[in-house]
Amino acid sequence: MPNALTTLPPDAENISAGGFNLHAGPVYRLADEGEVRRFALAVEQKHLNGSGNVHGGLLMTFADIAMSRTARVVAGADSCATVSLTCDFVGPGKAGDILEARVTVTRKTRTLVFLSADIVAGDRQVVAATGLWKIA
Amino acid sequence: MSRAPEGFRETRLIDPFELHCGPIYERGEAGGKVFGLRIDDRHVNMRGVIHGGMLMTFADASFGQAAWDATDHGDVVTLNMQSQFLAPAKAGDWLEVAPVLTRRTRTLLFLRGDFTVDGAAVFSVASVWKILGTG
Repeated sequence: MPNALTTLPPDAENISAGGFNLHAGPVYRLADEGEVRRFALAVEQKHLNGSGNVHGGLLMTFADIAMSRTARVVAGADSCATVSLTCDFVGPGKAGDILEARVTVTRKTRTLVFLSADIVAGDRQVVAATGLWKIA
Repeated sequence: MSRAPEGFRETRLIDPFELHCGPIYERGEAGGKVFGLRIDDRHVNMRGVIHGGMLMTFADASFGQAAWDATDHGDVVTLNMQSQFLAPAKAGDWLEVAPVLTRRTRTLLFLRGDFTVDGAAVFSVASVWKILGTG
């Protein structure tokens, strides 16, 4: 597991340009770690559920944004559409966490990208995700 | 355009992220509710199509309401959600779902549903929920 991010690194790039990405984000792209594509989201009050944990919908949104961006990067395409996404909610995320999505490519074909991702808060795993993207 | 068709009432939301993304609407009684969302500019991506994250958030919120109803307002959390993105939906569309409780055990709920616009399925979800306090 990586060391906990306590602040966003200075080279973090805000990739939330508009629409729901901006509404739910902002999401930042971090430097790659070998084959792992990394993204970050700093948990705010608006991201929580009534129990004070990060809302499942926001976690799936973060997974979708990070994995869709990775699909576009590895496909070299302007656009990739999420076909399926499966999320296991392994543990809670909390207010003040900086969540990190770590995305890896399982397989790329001419038309499809298979991805998996872990969302972590330091040494705590929050989400395990797998999904399939269509290269537009 | 009115936000919801005749017969729908606003769902009472508590979670900050659902309040941030809502409102959502419902009609019918516990165990047989239909939930609806009027897609607006906050919910779409740069191509004007509803964001996958908003679809999954609506699924989590509406299935969560159904799970809450099924447990007589118990504490429930999402364990797993499998989402299939079948077709695009756009701002202005009315999206609705009737969550189905496929099975209930002492500790788990299995919920699924197809989300439709004008009767055509655009999104399909199967999910597993944990009933807290049941071991």
